[in-house]
Amino acid sequence: MKTNQTKGVVRLLTLLLVLLLTTSMAFATGAKEEAAPSGSVSMTIATWTSNPDQIALLDSFVQGFAAQKGIEIDVTFESIPFAEYNTKLSLELQGQNGPDLFWVLETAAPAFIESGLLANLNDAMQAYDPEDISSDALELWSKDGNVYAIPFSTSPFFILYNKDLFTKAGLKTPEQYASEGAWNWDTFKMASKTIKEKTGVWGFQTVDGQGYDARILHNLAPIVRSYGGDFWTNDGQVLINSDASVAAVQLFHDMVYQDVSVVPPGNQSDFFAGNAAMTVGQISRVSKLNEASFAWGIAPMPSGPEGKSPVIGQAAIGAHSKGKQAALASELVAYMTNKDSVAAMSGIWPPARKSVLESEAFLTSNKSVSKEQMQNAVAASIKTGRVLPSHVKYPQIEVESKMVFDKLWQKNADVGAILDEVATVYAKYIK
Amino acid sequence: MKQHSLKANHRRDAIIGWAFITPQMAGFVFFVLLPLISVFLYSVQEKNLLFGTSVFNGLENFRLLFADPLFSKSLVNTLIFSAGVVPLNLIFSLLLALYLGGGKMGTRFVRGIIFLPVVTSGVAWAIVWKYLLQGGDAGPINWFLSLVGIEGPNWLFEKGWAMASVIINRVMKNLGMNVLIFMGAVLNMPGDVIEAAHIDGAKRFTLFFKIKLPLLMPTVMMVAIVTIIGSMRVFDTIKLMTDGGPEGSTMVMVYYIYHQAFRMFDTGFASALAVVLFLIVLVLTALQWFSRKRISFYES
Repeated sequence: MKTNQTKGVVRLLTLLLVLLLTTSMAFATGAKEEAAPSGSVSMTIATWTSNPDQIALLDSFVQGFAAQKGIEIDVTFESIPFAEYNTKLSLELQGQNGPDLFWVLETAAPAFIESGLLANLNDAMQAYDPEDISSDALELWSKDGNVYAIPFSTSPFFILYNKDLFTKAGLKTPEQYASEGAWNWDTFKMASKTIKEKTGVWGFQTVDGQGYDARILHNLAPIVRSYGGDFWTNDGQVLINSDASVAAVQLFHDMVYQDVSVVPPGNQSDFFAGNAAMTVGQISRVSKLNEASFAWGIAPMPSGPEGKSPVIGQAAIGAHSKGKQAALASELVAYMTNKDSVAAMSGIWPPARKSVLESEAFLTSNKSVSKEQMQNAVAASIKTGRVLPSHVKYPQIEVESKMVFDKLWQKNADVGAILDEVATVYAKYIK
Repeated sequence: MKQHSLKANHRRDAIIGWAFITPQMAGFVFFVLLPLISVFLYSVQEKNLLFGTSVFNGLENFRLLFADPLFSKSLVNTLIFSAGVVPLNLIFSLLLALYLGGGKMGTRFVRGIIFLPVVTSGVAWAIVWKYLLQGGDAGPINWFLSLVGIEGPNWLFEKGWAMASVIINRVMKNLGMNVLIFMGAVLNMPGDVIEAAHIDGAKRFTLFFKIKLPLLMPTVMMVAIVTIIGSMRVFDTIKLMTDGGPEGSTMVMVYYIYHQAFRMFDTGFASALAVVLFLIVLVLTALQWFSRKRISFYES
């Protein structure tokens, strides 16, 4: 009896071993580097946009590249929600079926470069005119003279506003204030409060309603920097608890809890549905207003005590270094960011190419935005704007500091003390 | 000849037996056993998901874990969550089962309503509740409270209220399943015992505590174990409703494991957390299992 049991166990173990070996071999075969492409090639591109028009534009570049190479590319676009982007992308890149090309957020750039997941693009970029791309724009995406991703979007933040609500509240529009040189954070605060009092509609909604969590830097950076503050600097200084930063965050906190004019945490009122008079946007968001039931406009971000300090949201595209088609994907990255592709995208994602930025065609590239608006709110800001802070430990910084930032969103929060705590978290990582 | 035929039959039966269990065993090995072993192996490594690096570091992750204030916070939060969910779930599901098992009017309708959240998608459920629980006067619940002169809080963005909200939400979502299990037990209670108690003059209170509850105790034990394990492993409710906030006040252990592994990419540390959670659940389940004879009089 005992012998039979032993036999059973041995059989079970043998079966498990066979299963394990078979599966490992199957996985190993799947991971094998493919030969030079011929015929149809499958590729996946990860983005955080799900806008059908934007995906169609990206697809047209892929097909243009395929035609040039004389191959067929069967491309799949994988849209990952912004708040989950880094998490899901990292997981997929470490697996067997990660995307061949993927967008990278500026805040996560150093971490992704350090991880070795981005392919070196130096060879693929040989056909580029190096003078055409500003070296500043490539700085974040390079290390030791090697380029690992190419920015396709260098898009400044601006104010999107609901003209009807400004008129109803008896206010000038932000564009009018800007032309008079009076568009500063005090005017912004006054306008937000007046609109809430006179119309009952929220004066301001943070960027995509995520300004208290996933987009806290996007939300606070324009105010903080125009007050002369910052979060941290590349040379290792933590400035989030400087007097200027505290004053800037206090202004926003007062708007939320004293004036009660900003859509508060947890409230789902949306600018695009007409439930807030202003929000922060980028040119890629404007298409959401094509069927808006209200008149709208765009204006530059307000200036602060230190003048204008535009903030740029930068995004780049890179190739997966461990992907099955790494070389082809690198070439596709270069094609998607060449002068022609960039010019075609410029109305949605403003480029870092001087020749495109300085062209007349760029100013008229977005049909929903006037030439003047493009000049004042976009082109002018790209020249002087700065990207959001980034760091190789950004994922850790973001997660840990968010728990402390949460303390801000209470009526009686001590802004200075809480920012001191945030500074302590930053200091752990910023050296 | 006869012995040879018997052996052949045995072998054929064994092959058929193995063929039947192989799909199940393969699933168990690849999706349960190997990941479980991997977690133990990862827990003694410094392993980064983003960088794809792993270095053996002995018990360092466990040393860091016990010095980590967020670990103790997540442990306390898990206990608070379980202490809220388990008694509420057990008490309400048992009372509802006793009511519904009585065959009174409208029980079918009530049974349907109670079971509805169980079959509703967790994501849809959470999205609806996030809308209902908005702060200020935007949320329907606060609007309703304002009608009776109560100013409702910002439910998911204030520390104490956020935990209370997710506890109640979780109880409502899962109550129906336990009601169904209890109803099965209630309907199977021996009628003659209850009738004898009635004849002996037992009142409602005595009948429940001295007769019905002891009869239901094996089911109560089983439901309690499953509910406790479920509450210790809560993830979806937290992820969808509070993201662990505000200030980490709803950061329960499984969510903290996710946080460390997939947001901070520290897979080694996250695996050490998972090992600790595994041991806690194992000990709690063992304690309940071995104490069942004391609690349930006819457990063997």
